[in-house]
Amino acid sequence: MTPDALIQAVELEKRYGSVVALNGVSFGIHDGITGILGENGAGKSTAIKIFLGLLQPTSGRAIVLGEDASRSVEVRAKLGYMPEHDCLPTRVSAAEFLTHLAEVSGLPPERARTRAADTLRHVGLFEERYRAIGGYSTGMKQRVKLAQALVHDPRIVLLDEPTAGLDPAGREEMLDLVRKTHREFGISILFSSHLMSDVERTCDRIIVLQGGLLVQAGEVTDFTTETETVFVEVDDRADALIAELEARGITVVAEAGGLNLHGTDDSIYDEVRDALVAAGAPLRRMAPRRRALTELFARDGETLVVGGDE
Amino acid sequence: MSDGHATTLDEAGRTTEGTVFDIGYQRYSGPREGRHRARVAVFKDGIRIALGIGRGGRAKILPWTFIGLLVGIGFILALVAGAALRIAGPEGLEQLPTHSDFYGIASIFFFVFAAVVAPDLLCSDRRHGVINLYLVRPLTGVDYVVARWSAFMVVALGVAWAPQFVLLVGRLMGHPDPGGYFSENWTDVPHILLSGAALAAYMTTLAMLVAAFTKRRAYAAVFLVGLFVISTPFTAGLSTEIEGPVGQWISMFNLSNIPVHVNDMIFGEVSGVTSEAPARELGNTLLLVWYSAWVLIPGAILVERYRRLTP
Repeated sequence: MTPDALIQAVELEKRYGSVVALNGVSFGIHDGITGILGENGAGKSTAIKIFLGLLQPTSGRAIVLGEDASRSVEVRAKLGYMPEHDCLPTRVSAAEFLTHLAEVSGLPPERARTRAADTLRHVGLFEERYRAIGGYSTGMKQRVKLAQALVHDPRIVLLDEPTAGLDPAGREEMLDLVRKTHREFGISILFSSHLMSDVERTCDRIIVLQGGLLVQAGEVTDFTTETETVFVEVDDRADALIAELEARGITVVAEAGGLNLHGTDDSIYDEVRDALVAAGAPLRRMAPRRRALTELFARDGETLVVGGDE
Repeated sequence: MSDGHATTLDEAGRTTEGTVFDIGYQRYSGPREGRHRARVAVFKDGIRIALGIGRGGRAKILPWTFIGLLVGIGFILALVAGAALRIAGPEGLEQLPTHSDFYGIASIFFFVFAAVVAPDLLCSDRRHGVINLYLVRPLTGVDYVVARWSAFMVVALGVAWAPQFVLLVGRLMGHPDPGGYFSENWTDVPHILLSGAALAAYMTTLAMLVAAFTKRRAYAAVFLVGLFVISTPFTAGLSTEIEGPVGQWISMFNLSNIPVHVNDMIFGEVSGVTSEAPARELGNTLLLVWYSAWVLIPGAILVERYRRLTP
């Protein structure tokens, strides 16, 4: 067990009859934004429900903010939860709904009203707060869902697929809000998603579940370390540059927007410089290439392959 | 204006300055009242839902129509009592329906009120998924359902008592000697409170139980109205055709009469609707146990249903 973990799963197992949803997984969630990544049925939602005390584990323990999640009801006052699916009433206003939920989280009525208005301002719904939620757009409803998870100022928020159903612009806004929630509000986040790009752009750490098993956990930067590839982008004469590079024995892979050059040490930069001069190609950008998470978790048939090399 | 700072001239030409500070997100450091506050909040919200407070006009139509109807019945009976007193004196009053008759006369309206309003306290939270947000807060499923039950119980008590007190005030006001009338009939007050509570507990528990098994308020309302509207003539007709203990037990399943039998026991008088019911022959003890079973067993099922509920 990690002493400073906000949430700790200790050999957590959950079975539904013969179906194993979680198979003895152990991991810790620390301060920051942690992504919990996996396909449908990987055990993400089961883990979150156990942390929230909604499901009892078959064996093992879930320790949340130092308390056993299956026994402590009071600890939920310090947790926020944004479900994936619809969870909003249609006939009440966002201000009234958030005030009510803040009270249900234990805040006195006057404080609850103030917190509701403040939280709606932070998610960009202050002007719309007296409108019935039923008339909101999908993006606005997602913001209300996030606001209700934050209204009581929790220590940690568990977000279940927060970008589900959003268009690209709405998705970007939601990811910005998630980042802001940690960096400006100081609230730690557990972010469940099956979209690796969302996790990569938002999270500090990731936990990868597959078939109820923990397959990987660590810092996002550990997974996206620099590769032995240099990315070069030129404004013109790319074909001449490729010829010059290949003449120098460098393997070149052309892709949309530039060239990937394989090299084992820093001498490749001298070779590229000479080839650029020889080809007369104007250089726009040259940088060591970082791996994207999507490359690490490339699909191999039905199996999620983790940590595979390029 | 930059950084929230602005300088303007007022009507007198003086320079005024002002700054708007963005204090950003503030952590909450005030009191957290835990599970008790959560229960109170769900209870208060239940009352608001039942009466349509804070909702649009449409949400107010049904509850207030029935409240108006029931208070209206009490008001009409009060007017009639006042007129009878003036025309025929206290003897004229004896021929009119009394407090003990009221729940027998108006019970069907109470049941329809419960059937159409109570399910809204449970069904919509499950239908829209709001229950998911309750159960992740410092509140258990049992806390939630007990708070909702209590909320509708309070509303039902008000709806049950209000028309009786309108009738009581009408009778007092119409009597030539209100003080004398009250000293002779003061026991009506505890009787009204007790029998109203018995009726409210019965209709609240049954309506909530049915609502706990469907996400659609309309389904619960139709089922409940059907249950009471069909069971009443069906059991009444069958129990008069079949004599003996079988007929008496069939009469016990007249759902509208179950709380009215208790009402009769409390007032010590038999009301019009139960006077011919064969169930009366089974005795007060059995009728009281039967009533208790119809409140306690559905109540236990309701609590168990929400104890096991997970989003």
